[in-house]
Amino acid sequence: MTCDKIEGLLTAYADGELSLEEKASVEQHLEACPDCASLLSFVRSADRTLAVFPEIEPRANLRRKLYAIPAQKKFRFSLDFLLKPSLQPVFAAATVFLIMFSFYMFSPDKNQINKAISRQFHRGYSQFEKLSAKAGSITDSLGAYADNVLVSLKKINPLSKNGE
Amino acid sequence: MLVDLFSKKIFNMSYQFAGSFQEAEDLTQDIFIKLHQSLSKYDLEKNFTAWFLTLAKNYLIDEYRRTKWQKKHRDDFDEHLQSAPISDDPEHSLVEEENKKILWEGLNSLPNDIRMAIILKEIQGKKYEEVAEILDLPVGTVKSRINRGRIQLAKVLKDRRESGHDM
Repeated sequence: MTCDKIEGLLTAYADGELSLEEKASVEQHLEACPDCASLLSFVRSADRTLAVFPEIEPRANLRRKLYAIPAQKKFRFSLDFLLKPSLQPVFAAATVFLIMFSFYMFSPDKNQINKAISRQFHRGYSQFEKLSAKAGSITDSLGAYADNVLVSLKKINPLSKNGE
Repeated sequence: MLVDLFSKKIFNMSYQFAGSFQEAEDLTQDIFIKLHQSLSKYDLEKNFTAWFLTLAKNYLIDEYRRTKWQKKHRDDFDEHLQSAPISDDPEHSLVEEENKKILWEGLNSLPNDIRMAIILKEIQGKKYEEVAEILDLPVGTVKSRINRGRIQLAKVLKDRRESGHDM
């Protein structure tokens, strides 16, 4: 058996969980390999030490805080919702907006930017007015077309004849 | 009361896992808050201790993953954990105390899943089946993790002892 293979069996050997055959193989290797024999003694030493590792009492202050948790819970304000991944695009958009806004605020050409914005705004507004005027004329022509269609339908509808 | 029954266990588990006293206090509080938030999800047919320790384990490992860049150092062993000697032989007890210091630091060298298995089995003395229930893993996987952890800690101890441990 190689040292790697023995290493995989060493804790089971220390715990007495190996079959007789495996145990004999491990013991045969340990007699010939001082490194593995030494590692086994450190496994046992570590086990002994961990088993008596000290436990400490929580401080009275911590206990008081723990007792208070059920009452706190009802009034606890949490900002955890800010960490939701669904809000990441909002934060990204806000960051871009803030960067652009800071460029605008601290730009030496602020007046020119204001004029450009104003020009764009008025251009957009006049385009909107044109579009609404066009939309009004389209609505009028559609209304006239609908009236014509109704008149035509009345003429060809046999029910309307009966009605007359 | 849950605090009386579990505060010491959860605090020690947090301290052994995180290695920082202050952080362990914060983690213990967070775990109890999480417990109060999750109590409605507890299935009465399940073992409460195992369910609560699983909740604590999940919280500790999640926190470790989230902020592991902060966790390179553990408190000095002497600061809070120095205990009474366990042997009448002063030389033997000195060796034991030094071993505790080495292993306390050595816990940081273990991956978080192996460290948690070692804490539950070797330090808190739980059975393999109990550890498997808390970690929500097959017993074979748990045995394998604990085996690797024990060997790794034994190697840490061996290296430090053979290189002339200086605390």
